[in-house]
Amino acid sequence: MLKVTFAGLAARKLRTALTATAVVLGVALISGTFILTDAINKNFDSIFSTATSGFDVAITPKVAVESDFEEQEVPPISDGYIARAEGVDGVDRAVGEIFSQGVIYKKNGDRITKSAPNFIASVQPEPFDPFDYVEGRAPEKPGEVAIDRFTANKQGFDLGDTISVSGDGPRAKLELVGIAKYGEVDSIGGASIAIVPLAEAQRLSGKPGGVDQIDVTADRGVAPAALVKRLRRELPGAITIRTAKAEADKQARDIKDGFAFLTTALLVFAGIALFVGGFMIFNTFTITIAQRMREFALLRTLGASRAQVLRSVLLEAFLIGLGASVLGLFAGTALAPALNGLFSTFGLDLPGEGTIVATRTIVVSLVVGTLVTVVSSLAPALRSTRVPPIAALREGAVLPPGRGRRWRAPIAAGLCGIGIAILVAGLVGGGSGNAVASLLGLGAVIVFLGVGLLSSKLVAPLASVVGRPLERLRGMTGRLARENTVRNPGRTAGTAAALMIGLALVNFVAIFAAGATGSVAKTIDDRFRSDLVLQGTDGFSPFGAQAGEAIARDPGVARATPLRFGLSKVTGVKGTQSVTAVDPKNSIGVFEFVWKQGSDRTLENLGPRDVVADEKWAKEQKFNVGETIAVLTPTNARLKLNIRGTYKDQLDFGGDFVVALDVATRDFNMKKDAMLLVKLAPDANRDAVQKRIELQLGAQFPDVEALTNEEFKDDQAKQLNQVLGLIYVLLGLSVLVSLFGIVNTLALSIHERTRELGMLRAIGTSRAQVRQMVRYESVITALIGAVLGTVLGVAFALIISRPLESDGFTLSFPVVTLLILIVLAAVAGVLAAIGPARRASRLDVLEALAYE
Amino acid sequence: MTDAALISATDLHRRYGEGEAAVKALDGVSIDFPSGRYTAIMGPSGSGKSTLMHILAGLDRPTEGTVVIDGQDITTLDDKHLTELRRETFGFIFQFFNLLPVLDARENIVLPLSIAGEKPDAAWLDQLVETVGLSDRLTHRPSELSGGQQQRVAVARALVSRPAVVFADEPTGNLDSKSSEEVLTLLRRSVDDLGQTVVMVTHDAHAASFADRVVVLADGKVVHDGECADEDAVHELMKAAG
Repeated sequence: MLKVTFAGLAARKLRTALTATAVVLGVALISGTFILTDAINKNFDSIFSTATSGFDVAITPKVAVESDFEEQEVPPISDGYIARAEGVDGVDRAVGEIFSQGVIYKKNGDRITKSAPNFIASVQPEPFDPFDYVEGRAPEKPGEVAIDRFTANKQGFDLGDTISVSGDGPRAKLELVGIAKYGEVDSIGGASIAIVPLAEAQRLSGKPGGVDQIDVTADRGVAPAALVKRLRRELPGAITIRTAKAEADKQARDIKDGFAFLTTALLVFAGIALFVGGFMIFNTFTITIAQRMREFALLRTLGASRAQVLRSVLLEAFLIGLGASVLGLFAGTALAPALNGLFSTFGLDLPGEGTIVATRTIVVSLVVGTLVTVVSSLAPALRSTRVPPIAALREGAVLPPGRGRRWRAPIAAGLCGIGIAILVAGLVGGGSGNAVASLLGLGAVIVFLGVGLLSSKLVAPLASVVGRPLERLRGMTGRLARENTVRNPGRTAGTAAALMIGLALVNFVAIFAAGATGSVAKTIDDRFRSDLVLQGTDGFSPFGAQAGEAIARDPGVARATPLRFGLSKVTGVKGTQSVTAVDPKNSIGVFEFVWKQGSDRTLENLGPRDVVADEKWAKEQKFNVGETIAVLTPTNARLKLNIRGTYKDQLDFGGDFVVALDVATRDFNMKKDAMLLVKLAPDANRDAVQKRIELQLGAQFPDVEALTNEEFKDDQAKQLNQVLGLIYVLLGLSVLVSLFGIVNTLALSIHERTRELGMLRAIGTSRAQVRQMVRYESVITALIGAVLGTVLGVAFALIISRPLESDGFTLSFPVVTLLILIVLAAVAGVLAAIGPARRASRLDVLEALAYE
Repeated sequence: MTDAALISATDLHRRYGEGEAAVKALDGVSIDFPSGRYTAIMGPSGSGKSTLMHILAGLDRPTEGTVVIDGQDITTLDDKHLTELRRETFGFIFQFFNLLPVLDARENIVLPLSIAGEKPDAAWLDQLVETVGLSDRLTHRPSELSGGQQQRVAVARALVSRPAVVFADEPTGNLDSKSSEEVLTLLRRSVDDLGQTVVMVTHDAHAASFADRVVVLADGKVVHDGECADEDAVHELMKAAG
């Protein structure tokens, strides 16, 4: 029997190759993900161990409000700790270090990158210094800067050039005196670093008298761990003391945790591709088993048992799965750098160099790929065992229908119901983000299976709808194409269902994105009474408050009021709470609140120990107006704050609660503006003022830009579209798999219809007409998938957006986009048909007629 | 017959394979087919009778020799023109009926016209359907028809575009004797009543006895070409051919 399996595989090379492709693509994404993220993690490890290689103990600010997702600026520690640390017994030396986010500019004044972070770092003495100067020297006095070799090479910076750098304040023009390697490498994972003397670094980053970290070396013979204990005893306060190694591990872990979502997201896309691949494998095996019925019957006649037939089919699936998984594993090594490049294109530069193939990568890739193939082929394999031996002798015998056929529709409907129930449960049940996402995913998978099962019943009516116009247009070839799609509805359904999955997700994402874009625009329309909005030129980074102060002096500006976003912890509430800071008096009439309890008067009178709260949040946490909440801030302050009023939030612009700007600055370390809303003087010309402000910003604060509300909305949409693009590309892989499915089904169907095609050619059908016929069949199949996918995508969007409506999310349907997607599906159908159509048209008429 | 030949094949050779293993399917066949006649091509298996028909019908090309139809040598035509020729000049009847299962009887009959994008002449179609006796079966799909009915659909399909020649390849090979009789009678009538030219390949002496003329091939050569007498005479011819 083993021999039969191998011979069969070899004889059906094309089908085997196409089936394997589905698995190869999915597995490649799995192994590529692991290979890339392992490389990223390893590179981060080495970056942080380089950073801490020159000393024994690190003293860092205590992070009072820890959050995995939100980036926050941790308040610095006082540089008074440096001298105090040096006074501790066992300490050899202690030096302060600044390593803060900043912006480095190109020669033309633009940010050098929007996708990788820029840092301002202070020069450290030996042995603390992780940098090696390959050209020039370390900066020694104010006005000098050194830069990492990666950035210098990329930007063409040479010694003696003037480089602009900004942190908290206006940009500084500095002279390039050194180019440095970081340990053994040119860059810190693609980040750019401007190295300046400590005092300059403190000034630039707006941390006078503060440092981000104090590095300590121990006296000879003093163990770092022992020194940590001693320092902890001697230096109380809001600081964290760890050995250098522990600090490196912690920082690497934090950043790795931050990127863990990336691994998960990529694996989800791999899972989707494999799920689609499963449909295709199921379909392919179903078709080929029907075609090989006589072969199975013959084997049975010759004395093979059912179990042997089953084993031979499953073995075939196993071999295809294993072979494809191995190929996928290798393809993953090529895909990993491609994924990294993809992220970079979409604005996320990560240190993904190097290829690490961990045992886990190999095991998971091989097991998942093989398992998916074998499981998908299980049902068709079981059917193969029901072929009666007598079928070998009968012409045109058909497979006995499955026993479950009668139950098919009810089971399908049941699955859809269960899937939707799980979706809804995930949405209303609350729970952690992961639990919700898992439930949504599970619900969607079950709905897909249900619709997939049901779709054979939908094929005939759908083929009618999408096929009639073709028939009208193209006559007999269109007619035959449509008839061919409904000839074997299960087959067409399976093929279309695979495409349906990818398209449903693409549609869902498109609808959701349109909703998000519309909701952002609506929120800006509803809440912003400003004429101009200032934001970071990368669209998301907050900027120093001095920019706002500077442009407020423009005679055309009546008022400029910032929005700042930060974090806190509230006693009795899970997780972290988002805090928005506004200038109470200045913001009235520029940033609009929709009051539930209270009024603009409440805001105007907002005292240093007062907040106004998001009505929905307050209700969930059972806080009432007039009550006090206990808040822990990022500066480690514990505040009792009074709730003075509640407002209706929209897209979290108001956070969970709002505090006054001065309190936010002092107690919440919210020093930078996320955006600045500008109201112009009544007689001012907006365009003229905007131009003037842009000029001023360009000269002093090139990290900030001034946009009209419309431009601001467009920019928000643009940022969203970038993320969208990335998702589309990754979903594209699943769509690609389903297209291979169409190719496969067409190829197999044509094979079955060889004699028919021979007859058609003999009685005068041209090759072009044969091609046309196959092409239309493909297009109709693709369109059935597209229609089902669109319907499901819309349904998912409707279900999942419901709970978000109270947060200001309004669903809107991008009709044009959805129509374009349907057209693209048709085009994809045409592309999928190229190969099979060519094959069909080139059949030798005589051979085809003699074909049995 | 005084008619000029409709199809004129001259010195046809057809070899399959190369060198030692080459098989001569046709070895110098010259034959004319006048219009309005019913010719049966007979011969034992491997005699080259099918090959001859395939070459005459533009489905295969000779290694040497010419086939001239309407003054045109079809052996030099490209696929596109051959396809047109088959569509406009020839009708086909196959052993395995070869109907499209997805179309009903009427649609199968008019298929050659549909492919050409033409509308059938209603009166002609009625007459044809009447002739083949399928008036009450037109909306049935092939799976709902008996073998004989299916082959009658195929005959109607072959005649619907009023082709110059109908080629029938073992048209009764898959039929019981009653159905065979019906189909053969139909072909006879198409010649007698409609003036159709029919070329039929068969190894069945009874089928051949319906023809006007019997051509017998053996080893790729014509060994007999003459008026058809009766079934027994045909049997004798076949025996002689081996």
